[in-house]
Amino acid sequence: MAGRLAAIRPSSFLNMPIVAIGLSHRTSPVEMRERFAFAEAKIPEALQTLRSRGVAEEAVILSTCNRVEIYAATDNTDRSIFEALQRFLVEARDYRGPLHEEIYKLSEPQSIEHLFKVACGLDSMVVGETEILGQLKKAYDLALRHKHTGGRLNKAFQRAFQVAKQIRTETNIQRGSVSVGSVAVELAEKIFSALQDRQVMVIGAGDTSEKTARALLSRGAQSIIVSNRSYDRAGALAGELGGRAVHFEEWAKEFEKIDIVISSTAAPHYILDRARLEPLMKLRRNRPLLLIDIAVPRDIEPEVNFLENVYLYNIDDLQAIADDYLQQRREEIARCEAIIREKVRTLAGAERPLHFTSGSRPVFGHE
Amino acid sequence: MNGSGRYCFLAAVVVYGLSATYSVFLWRKGFRQGDRVNYGLLLLAAILHTTAMFQRGISFDRCPVNNLYEAITFVLWTMVAVYLVVGLWPRLRFLGAFAAPLLLCVGVFALMPGLDNRYGAQPEFKHDWVSLHAALILLSYGAFGLSSIAALMYLTQEHDLKFHKMRAIFSLLPPIQRLELVIRRLMAAGFVLLTAGLVIGAVWLKLPEGVGYLEDPKVHWSILVWLLYLALLFMNWRFAQGGRRFAWGAVGCFLFVLLTFWGVNLMSPIHH
Repeated sequence: MAGRLAAIRPSSFLNMPIVAIGLSHRTSPVEMRERFAFAEAKIPEALQTLRSRGVAEEAVILSTCNRVEIYAATDNTDRSIFEALQRFLVEARDYRGPLHEEIYKLSEPQSIEHLFKVACGLDSMVVGETEILGQLKKAYDLALRHKHTGGRLNKAFQRAFQVAKQIRTETNIQRGSVSVGSVAVELAEKIFSALQDRQVMVIGAGDTSEKTARALLSRGAQSIIVSNRSYDRAGALAGELGGRAVHFEEWAKEFEKIDIVISSTAAPHYILDRARLEPLMKLRRNRPLLLIDIAVPRDIEPEVNFLENVYLYNIDDLQAIADDYLQQRREEIARCEAIIREKVRTLAGAERPLHFTSGSRPVFGHE
Repeated sequence: MNGSGRYCFLAAVVVYGLSATYSVFLWRKGFRQGDRVNYGLLLLAAILHTTAMFQRGISFDRCPVNNLYEAITFVLWTMVAVYLVVGLWPRLRFLGAFAAPLLLCVGVFALMPGLDNRYGAQPEFKHDWVSLHAALILLSYGAFGLSSIAALMYLTQEHDLKFHKMRAIFSLLPPIQRLELVIRRLMAAGFVLLTAGLVIGAVWLKLPEGVGYLEDPKVHWSILVWLLYLALLFMNWRFAQGGRRFAWGAVGCFLFVLLTFWGVNLMSPIHH
């Protein structure tokens, strides 16, 4: 992570500068991130320590599975602020391992730009995801509730939330599904008028099939039938999803009422082929049937896709759609960055042009 | 040729052309953005089209359905009017992108001079039943036309879903199940109108001396069209023949109507 620390200018646009220090999925492996992660209950105490030691006037700690960051407003315009913050971070988490370039340190305007990018999901592992905005709001609320923020951080965070909203409405950065479950929901919505009265069958109680079923339920799918070689496991999953379990040998009997099938068994051969499905389709009066085969090796014979009103998607098809969405999101990054820079400029209100760096990632300065 | 209303109709056809051009753009973009522009263009065209029909209708105080030009403009007008209502639902608005090329082509065909034959200051209507008979049947063709356009939309979306085209997901086209419902409803509406029109023709209209129903090609043709649509609806209702086959049926039947309508009219002693 090359680059030099941008100097903290005494005449920073927020009078007292906001700095950011932390590590994320971009700079460190999960083994390191988990060592630095703060439990939510411990954050107010950590913030109190940070302020009582005089390291920062105001502070917010953001701790998620993909990043641990401290945003601080301080009177200290010296570079030693980063040393103090890093020392605090290492001591607070009792980290004794080596540190190279995992921790990034940002001063204005990169720190503000980074905050905005984090809020918009531009710095997330899945570009454009919205979960991070909720986590950032929660982290800010926690600091606010315990009175560890003031005018500077309040203004910066409020503006970050506004920018995130603007980016969401004006760009396609958050458009589309980037997980297998949500792609399956989108497909179902392209086939069926409404998911409200659709019946879903899960064959094989795997993790992805469970997530996919949950995604369909969250969009209003009516009921779930779970079938698994282990009936107990089917019963447990059915209980969690509010559906009912059927014995594995009997799933075909339920087929007449089913609209969507999610299959993820560990069977080494096809459990549903064209010869078996053809008569079942007649029983269903040729209503559309969406088959989602997320098993490897595949559970459903590809030939069934040639049957009328049958739509078969396997894991690669779903992943290709998700990847395409992700690619579209990446293409939107430049637009988002332009909006963010403009907003940082507005926040600064500075007549002097700010020196931004190009690219989708912030420049990480190192002491 | 009867001059009144033709220039307005020409202007409407030009706007249909603009709409068709914009539809190509929408198609190439994968129907990813809303179709307000097209809806606006078709609304403008519909105003011009309606004005053209009013000008023609007011000139002899009757429904303007006396020659092939007027019959075709009436069918097109019905399609646009129904589209403007259906298009109030944002996702069904894309029907306009599929309808515009057809409106343009048939509109240009209607403008051919030979189709707008002169019939004097007043048409030779014996009574109002003729007007009602013609209007109902032409309205039914409009409904069948729009049903076939919905079927084209269905076939596009169904093909994309079946062959895992990204456009299936990224486009704003409505779900195929809803499109099938639209095809069925429009076809059923068309069938009811056609039945009513044919019954009026058979029961209340008096034929000229020496002309019988059984010898008239258009009567045979109309019964064939009626039977075709009856078979499609019956198969759909009784034998669950929905989906792609039903959509192809809707497209095929209307194509048959479109290609044979004018020829059969010219061959019919009653209607020509």
